[in-house]
Amino acid sequence: MSNILEHMARVIRDPSMVLSKERKERGCKMIGIFHPVVPEELIYAAGLRPVRLFPYIDDSITEGDAHLQTYLCSHVRAVWDQVMKGKYPYLDGAIIPRSCEAVTFLYQTWKRHNPYPFIDYINVPWKRSENAVDFFAKELGRIKNDLEEFAGNGISVDSLRNAIRVYNRNRGLLRKVYALRKAQAPVISGVEAFKAVMSSFVLDREEHSGLLEQLLTELSVRSPGPGAKVRLLVTGGCVIDARLWEMIEDSGASVVADDVNNGSRSVFTAVNETTEGPLTDLARRYAMVPCSFNTANTDRFTYISELIMGSNIQGVIFAINRNCEAEKFDYPNLDQKIREKFNLPTLHIETDYLTDMAPLRTRVEAFIEMLNAGGG
Amino acid sequence: MTEKTRRERPAFNKIISATIERHYKDIQINRPLGYALMAPNPLVEIACAAGIQPAFPENYAAVSAVKHLSKKYCETAEAHQYAPDICSYCRNNLGYVYDSKENPPLGGLGRPDLLLLTSSACTHYFKWWDALHEIYKIPLIYINTPRVMEPQAMPDYYLAYAIREIEAAITQIEDIGGVKITPEQLSQAVTLSGEVVDYWQKLLELQKAAPCPVNLTDISNALFVLIALVGKQEGVDVIKAVYDETKQRVADGTGVFTKEEEKHRLMWINIPFWFNLGLFGYFEKRGCVFPLSDYTQYIWGTTKMDGARPLESLARKALGGELNSSLDDQIGKMIKDIKEYRIDGIIAHSNRSCRVLSVGIPDVVEVIRKELNLPSLVLDGDHTDERVYSDANIMNRIEAFLEMLG
Repeated sequence: MSNILEHMARVIRDPSMVLSKERKERGCKMIGIFHPVVPEELIYAAGLRPVRLFPYIDDSITEGDAHLQTYLCSHVRAVWDQVMKGKYPYLDGAIIPRSCEAVTFLYQTWKRHNPYPFIDYINVPWKRSENAVDFFAKELGRIKNDLEEFAGNGISVDSLRNAIRVYNRNRGLLRKVYALRKAQAPVISGVEAFKAVMSSFVLDREEHSGLLEQLLTELSVRSPGPGAKVRLLVTGGCVIDARLWEMIEDSGASVVADDVNNGSRSVFTAVNETTEGPLTDLARRYAMVPCSFNTANTDRFTYISELIMGSNIQGVIFAINRNCEAEKFDYPNLDQKIREKFNLPTLHIETDYLTDMAPLRTRVEAFIEMLNAGGG
Repeated sequence: MTEKTRRERPAFNKIISATIERHYKDIQINRPLGYALMAPNPLVEIACAAGIQPAFPENYAAVSAVKHLSKKYCETAEAHQYAPDICSYCRNNLGYVYDSKENPPLGGLGRPDLLLLTSSACTHYFKWWDALHEIYKIPLIYINTPRVMEPQAMPDYYLAYAIREIEAAITQIEDIGGVKITPEQLSQAVTLSGEVVDYWQKLLELQKAAPCPVNLTDISNALFVLIALVGKQEGVDVIKAVYDETKQRVADGTGVFTKEEEKHRLMWINIPFWFNLGLFGYFEKRGCVFPLSDYTQYIWGTTKMDGARPLESLARKALGGELNSSLDDQIGKMIKDIKEYRIDGIIAHSNRSCRVLSVGIPDVVEVIRKELNLPSLVLDGDHTDERVYSDANIMNRIEAFLEMLG
C-alpha cells in the first residue's frame, strides 16, 4: 500500500488521537457535524474546525440507552454513548441537522445535557424548490450568526468564498479518486477509496487535499488491479465500518461505486463559486445532497442509475443499518426499479453498530459466487 | 380490592361513532379523494375549500388495529419488503394497499386521486407518502415546513416559508382539480376550523374538574373531529355537542367516577395501544382516570385559526403542535399541565413505531420525577402491531405500579 494510503488508514483507525493532537497543538475549536447536509464551509469560515461525527467502532453501548432507546439507529445511539463517555475530548460543540428522528433527538438530548459549550440545529429542507433553497439560505444565515457569536469572529463574504474554494478543491480531488474506480481494471480498490474519503472527515481539508494530490500522482503510475472482479455498487445510509467494505472486497468483488452518506453523497458535486452569494450557493448545493431522509425515491433512483451506468455495475448491495427507517423505506421500490431497469441482482444486508461480520460474509460470498457464475 | 364501576359513558360517543361511519361512507362515494396525513395538516382545510374528500391512512391503521387486522396487514407489507422496524401505521396501510381488500373494515379507505402531505411530523411520513406516490402514480401535494425547536422565538422566515408553501399547494390543487378556491371559501374553511379548535381547547379545560368528566378514551374518540372535520360546519356541530355535554357533566358533578371513587388521576404519554383499548377499562376498575395525555393535548387544536388571516393561520397550524416542536417545549407544557390537572402518576408508552413521541420519554419521566416527585411507569410496545405486545408483562407491571400508588 502507498504511504499516503497507509497514513489515511492510520487516521481513520484512531481519529481521536489525530484530532486531540491537533486541538492541543493548534488550539483550534472543533465543531462536530452530522450527515453530509451541514455546510462545513460556514464553520471553517468562522475560524473553527469542522469534524464529521462518527462513533468509534470499539465499545458496546452502555450509557447512551439512558436517553436514546434501543429501537433507534445504533449509529446515532453509539455517538451519544461515546459523548457521555467523554470519547470526543477535542470537541467544543456540534451542529446537528433535521433528518431522521434519531438524529433530531440526538440534538435535543445533546442540548438538554449540554456536554460542550456550543450546540445548534439546522433545518434542512426536504424539498428542492426555489422556495426551499431560499428558506435554507436564510437558515444558513442564522447558523452563521450563531457561529460568529461563538467564535468571536465575523464571517466575511471573502472568508466564506475561501472556505467554499477549500472544500470544493477537496471534493473535486475526491471525485477524481472516485473516477479512477470506473476503469475496468481500477488502480484503486473500494476499500482504499473508502479510506481516502473517510480521512477527509477527520483531517484539515487543505492538508487532506495535499495528500490527495500526492495520492493521485502515485496512482497515475500504479499498475491496475485485476480487472475480472465482480463490480458492485454499495448503497445505504451511514456505512462507516471499514470491516464491511473489506469483507465485501475480500470475498472477491470490487466496490467501484457507492451511494452512502460517508461516500459519494458527501462529494457528489461542487458549490457554485460565482453567482448568487455564498449562502444561497451553499443552500443550493446542500439541499441537493441525496440522503434518504430528504430525497424522494425517484430522485434517489436517478442518482443510483447514474452510478450504475457510469461504473458498469454488475450487482448492488443494500447495506442498511437496523432501525434506519428512511433507508428501509426506500429499499423495496429502489430494489424493484434496479432489477427492472438494469436487470441487476441485488442483496440486502442489515448492518448494525458492532455488526458480527461472519453471518454477513456468508451471504455476501454467496451473492458474489452467484454473480461470478453469471447468475442473477 | 374493591372494583370501581364507571358511570354511563358520555352520550357523545354515539355521535362520534356515527360521524366516523359517515366519514367512511363519504370516502366510498365522494371524489376526488385525497389521502391526507393526520398530523396537523393545513391541506385538510384547503381540501375542504376545494371540494376534495380527505381520507386518513393513520386513522384507518388504528381502526384496523382495533379490529385486530394489524397482524395481517403488517405481514403483507413485510412480504413486500417493508421491514418490521418501519412504523406500524405505515406497514398497516401499505399492507392494506397490497391486500385483496375483501370486506375491509368500514368499507375500506378508497383508492386515492391525490396525496396531501405536510412534513410537520416525522421522516416516516415523507417516505410513506412518497411510497404511496410511487405505487399509485398520482399527484403529491406536499407542504415542507421546518421543525420549530423554540416556538417562543420562531424566526420570521419560518412562517414566510410555510405561507409560500401553502400558496404553492393551493395553486397546485387548483391546477390539478381544475377548480378555483376563492378567498371566501378558504376564509370560511379556516373560520370553521377555528371554531372547532376553540371548542376543543375549552373541552380540554373541563378535564381539570374533579371528578374528571370524561376519560381519555372518550376524548380520543372526539379527536377525530380535530383531524377529519376541520373546515366543515359538521365539525363545529359535533364538537359543540361534545363540549356541551361535558360542560353539563361538570356542572352536575358527573364524572367517570364520583369524586369519592376517583382514586387516581393519571397522565398517559403517547398513543394508546389501539388493539387493547380495554386496558383503560382495567384502569377504571382500579379507580384510575386519565384527564391528561400529550396525545390529545399538544398535537391537534393547538393553533388559533383566524378566518381573516387564512394563509397565516394555516401556516401556523403546519408549524405548530408537539410533533413539530422540541422536547424542552413539551416538558415545559407537561410540568404545567400535570399540576393544573392534578395528576398523581404517569404512564408512558415507549412506542417503537412512533419515535417522535417516544424518544424523549426517558428525559420526560426523569424531569417529572425530580421536579414533581411523581411516580411513573414506562411500558414498551407499539401503537398497532400486536405482535410485539406482551400482555402478561404489561399487566404485571401495571399491577405493580398501581399497588405502589396505593
